[in-house]
Amino acid sequence: MTSPFQLAKEEKTTQLLEKLNALTKWHMEQNPEYRAMLEKSGVSIEAKTLEEVPYLPVQLFKLMDLVSVPKEQVVKVLTSSGTTGQQVSKIYLDKETSIAQTKTLVEVMKPILGDKRLPMIILDTKSVLKNRKSFSARGAGILGFANFGRKHFYALNDDMTLDMEGLQNFLEEFKGQRILLFGFTFMIWQFVYKESIKQGLKIDFGDSILIHGGGWKKLKDEAVDAQTFNRLLKEQLGIQEVHNYYGMVEQVGSIFVECSHGHLHTPKFADVIIRDPITFKPLPFGEQGLIQVLSELPKSYPGHSLLTEDLGTILGEDDCPCGWKGKYFTVAGRIPKAELRGCSDTFQGGVKA
Amino acid sequence: MKLFWPTMGTFEQAFEKLSKEQPFEPFDAQVLAFAHSLSKKFLTMRNLTEVVALGFWLRKAHIQEMKEAWKAETNGKVKKARGTVFHIAPSNVDTIFIYSWILSLLAGNRNIIRISSKDQSNELLDAIIEVLSRPEFESIGNRTIICTYSHDENYTEIISNSCQTRVIWGGDETIRRIRQVPLAPMANELAFPDRFSLAAFNSDVVVQLDNQELSQLLEKFYNDVFWFNQMACSSPRLIIWTGENKEKAKNRFWSAFEKTIQSKQFELMAASQVSKLTTSLWMASEAEVESVQHLTYFSRVQMTDFPKDARERHCGGGLFFEYDANSLNDLKSIIIDKDQTLSYFGYEKDEILSLVQVVSSRGIDRIVPIGQALDFHQVWDGQNFLTSFTREVVIR
Repeated sequence: MTSPFQLAKEEKTTQLLEKLNALTKWHMEQNPEYRAMLEKSGVSIEAKTLEEVPYLPVQLFKLMDLVSVPKEQVVKVLTSSGTTGQQVSKIYLDKETSIAQTKTLVEVMKPILGDKRLPMIILDTKSVLKNRKSFSARGAGILGFANFGRKHFYALNDDMTLDMEGLQNFLEEFKGQRILLFGFTFMIWQFVYKESIKQGLKIDFGDSILIHGGGWKKLKDEAVDAQTFNRLLKEQLGIQEVHNYYGMVEQVGSIFVECSHGHLHTPKFADVIIRDPITFKPLPFGEQGLIQVLSELPKSYPGHSLLTEDLGTILGEDDCPCGWKGKYFTVAGRIPKAELRGCSDTFQGGVKA
Repeated sequence: MKLFWPTMGTFEQAFEKLSKEQPFEPFDAQVLAFAHSLSKKFLTMRNLTEVVALGFWLRKAHIQEMKEAWKAETNGKVKKARGTVFHIAPSNVDTIFIYSWILSLLAGNRNIIRISSKDQSNELLDAIIEVLSRPEFESIGNRTIICTYSHDENYTEIISNSCQTRVIWGGDETIRRIRQVPLAPMANELAFPDRFSLAAFNSDVVVQLDNQELSQLLEKFYNDVFWFNQMACSSPRLIIWTGENKEKAKNRFWSAFEKTIQSKQFELMAASQVSKLTTSLWMASEAEVESVQHLTYFSRVQMTDFPKDARERHCGGGLFFEYDANSLNDLKSIIIDKDQTLSYFGYEKDEILSLVQVVSSRGIDRIVPIGQALDFHQVWDGQNFLTSFTREVVIR
């Protein structure tokens, strides 16, 4: 298997555009809601450039069930994370899309993790995997990445405390070996890093590589950026190599991982476009705007071209000093929520009457 | 519990003190002077357009007009304030509680106002407290409490149990919840739930406007829509077109409206842009939607029918559902209880009266010309505040 970061712009664009056009057509045929949305808004179906591929806002998956295969073919339903009361996205995967998702994840991670399965510590609780048919974003992430490791150890107890004894035993057992760590940015920060400091725990993860994602929103509130995060994790926990990734439940196959230079990269089967947050017109490299993600994978639901609510900046294409091809970019965070001004919501968050 | 007014002491102390005060006579001279002072203060706050509008509503001449009308209406009757009125203000139309409070004060009542905790400090509140603090308004100050408290405190119970009137501004859910809190047996209640509003245009009249007239109309429509970012209950969200020139009128109207918004330098928000696109597409998946158009300044959704639940999907920020009708009377089939204000342009009085006659649901409480959708009136949602805030003593 070759690296998905070797295809240069022209060839990648041609291949991807053809596949995306085929997907638009497929969803038009299979999904009456999708067809209605495109037809009634008068967008052209056959795109001549990636920018012309019709897109749906990610929010839409929170409002409606969009499926392009008969429901009995759905083998997995992914749900986005969301605080209580918030609506969550529901993403329906059939066998084909689900397998393709696993396969592309392997391809994307291989350049970083190599071929061998490493002993793996999951910096989360095992209980997030309870329901096997319906996965939260956390559960889906863990299951996806678990394939890269062996001897999986879940470092957090159900009450979010660190299983120190189990952790020490694991580190002892695999001393001297390279260890894979996986978790969600905020969970690692809150329940591993901060807890270890609070309790004065001495942990040394040794020769380890950490893969983490899920967003920086909560860390931003504490004024912690990626550099600080990486440095503190190295100082306190001895974690040597850290790779952040950007991805979302709503688009399988779009997994953008940081290279050795700290840039998120698009693999050959996915792409990003930055759009003006107000007019939605495509922006040139270097300008910050809304991130649109494209992926050739979503076949069981119309998610091959999505407008996210995240802000990002494309730094360049095919010329990252790390050597990987593809667009490389950074993510700045979510757009601010619209301030609602109306007559309603006297008691936001509920009243205990 | 956080007390904004009075500025000293505890809620319990203030509550005890307030309860001992004698209510005013309706339209007491001290209250009129207070309203006048507030008006002058608000009219200087030019950066807050809704506060200036409030100041305009409170101006001496207008209050005087209300007083005269009240006198004429209650001629020969004995009217007294009800006692203590408990106002629960909404979290996001900052000025509405003031209308409710002042009308209650004009009726002569003592007032307790619970504002949303989100507005802990704002210019409007500071201005009110400054006027309340003036020595000449001590008697008003003694009869006023402005506070906020969290949902797990039982102040709603305490106040509800000893007030004579409760006023709830809020969403349907808020009203349901607060109504679970028992109200003193003798008290009455006014509730102002979520409403939905529409505007109707006679296309035959729109196409005949000259450019200047059209731009004046759009200016007014702009205020109705964007003053509260189309989130106010009375902002039009559904646009009705009647007459023989619908397509021509729509094209002219909407393309000119884009320019109006542009010229206002209205600040568009990314989140709102995404919401409008999302809602338009969501609507497009429904059978009764014919076409959707997502533009930078607004989105349009052309509908062949207007089902009840479409109202709940509206996200504000410049989203227009459109519906073609032969005449105003055709609205009979789509108007539901929730519908509040119909703003109109290009109709005769008898067409409007005819619509009011044919509507069989609870819907439509206000029918006003375009440009007046947000104007507050002492009769709101079909209820007269001054009547609800007073009681009549029968003497034979």
